[in-house]
Amino acid sequence: MSGSGGDAARLRVDWPACKAHGLCHELLPDLVRLDEWGYPIVLADGGVTPAQIADARAAVRACPRRALHLT
Amino acid sequence: MTAPASERDILAHAGASPISIEHHPRIEPGPALLRHTTHAHDLRAHRLRHGEPPELDLASLHAMAGAAAVQGRGGAGFPFARKLRTAAEHARRGRRPIVVVNASEGEPASAKDAALAEVAPHLVLDGAAVAARALGAREVHVVLPGDRPRASGLLATAVGERTDARLTWRVHDAPARFVAGQARAVLELMAGRPGLPVTAWAPEAVSGHRGRPTLLSNAETWAHIGLLALEGIRPTLERGTRDEPGTTLLTLHAAGTPVTVVEVEHGTPLAPLLPALAWDAPVLIGGFHGTWTTSAALAGAHLSRAELRERGVGLGAGVIIAPGPDACPLGLTAAIVEHLAAESAGRCGPCVNGLPALARAVRGVVHGVVGAREEAARLSGLVTGRGACAHPDGTARLVASALTALAGEVAAHADGGCGAGAAQEVAS
Repeated sequence: MSGSGGDAARLRVDWPACKAHGLCHELLPDLVRLDEWGYPIVLADGGVTPAQIADARAAVRACPRRALHLT
Repeated sequence: MTAPASERDILAHAGASPISIEHHPRIEPGPALLRHTTHAHDLRAHRLRHGEPPELDLASLHAMAGAAAVQGRGGAGFPFARKLRTAAEHARRGRRPIVVVNASEGEPASAKDAALAEVAPHLVLDGAAVAARALGAREVHVVLPGDRPRASGLLATAVGERTDARLTWRVHDAPARFVAGQARAVLELMAGRPGLPVTAWAPEAVSGHRGRPTLLSNAETWAHIGLLALEGIRPTLERGTRDEPGTTLLTLHAAGTPVTVVEVEHGTPLAPLLPALAWDAPVLIGGFHGTWTTSAALAGAHLSRAELRERGVGLGAGVIIAPGPDACPLGLTAAIVEHLAAESAGRCGPCVNGLPALARAVRGVVHGVVGAREEAARLSGLVTGRGACAHPDGTARLVASALTALAGEVAAHADGGCGAGAAQEVAS
């Protein structure tokens, strides 16, 4: 599920689950912006570099709706 | 400034579909699927015409669908042979594949699957039965359009006539809404949950109904497979072009003519499909999730998915809407976007919030509001790719195409006018 890692890792949002809590943006400001309603805009098609992977995993764990996935 | 009468009418019904379902479309006889429009369509008559479908093994069916270049006719156009192979590759002991006939046309303007229910239901079911046998599937599910009781009834009757050995048929009624026909929404319905889209983490051919490989295709796609199985590949290769053999079904909406379903060979010139007058104004191709285009942009074009794609136009599920020179295409676009916003499943934030905002922006373009055009363009980009299904993407595509193909109309509205004949008289 979220343990693949490596340079092919990609952040994806489970849109029906997301309720705009915005923690992903706070934890990953370089990867996630928020739109005017507070929903995430995942930048660079969700591509996560090896240097960002630890933070990305933390954000996945922090999402109160479990709506952020690393695939 | 008061809105013109037609526009007040639209505003009063904001959210209702500007094109309602045609339960009795005119069906023109065609060369293949629609060859027998006036004959009996029960199983016995169908068998007298076509005989029993042969037992095709997976390799034969795959080769046939590949050579005939059969693509999904629900709108996405994905190659059927690839889906078939994926489903076969993911079948294992205890994970027999499932076959699904998706006959739930969510788009009110499309009537082609209803036409098949009317004149060729057993072609559709034969296609699914042949594939089920080739895959070793035991269950075929048929998803009926909840908002089309006539088509649903005809298909359910046809399913009731089936006597296929080793196959169990099940029918489901899809809810009457635009997004209900989306593949994941159909799987949700089959699982006993509300038929609304959810996030797909794997293609349904890999993991679909109850986690099994699920070969889900649109009713027309299945009818093409059925005909291939019944008459062999040669007749299909003799129709259409070398790259795109066979035919496609279209639903034509031309002002002043009845809604008509036609079957057209690939490579046929597009212009004669509509009355000449219809081409004097912009035409919407692909339906509510489609693209606006003009006769100039389509000059000399043929019915070819590849050729249309090069011209920036997707055929989608084969809907062509030609409102004619007396209608305002921007006003129609605004009404469609309002309908699509109201038809959101209400689950994904960017769709729930973004589509109503987009609808307001497009209505602003109609009223010539300063900045509305830029806002509509921005919101189209913002909602794209951010939902469990392609509803926001399709809506954004429609709006983006309106802003470019209807640039002249957009400019006229910004100056307080309207290019359309009748609307101009009312507005001035």
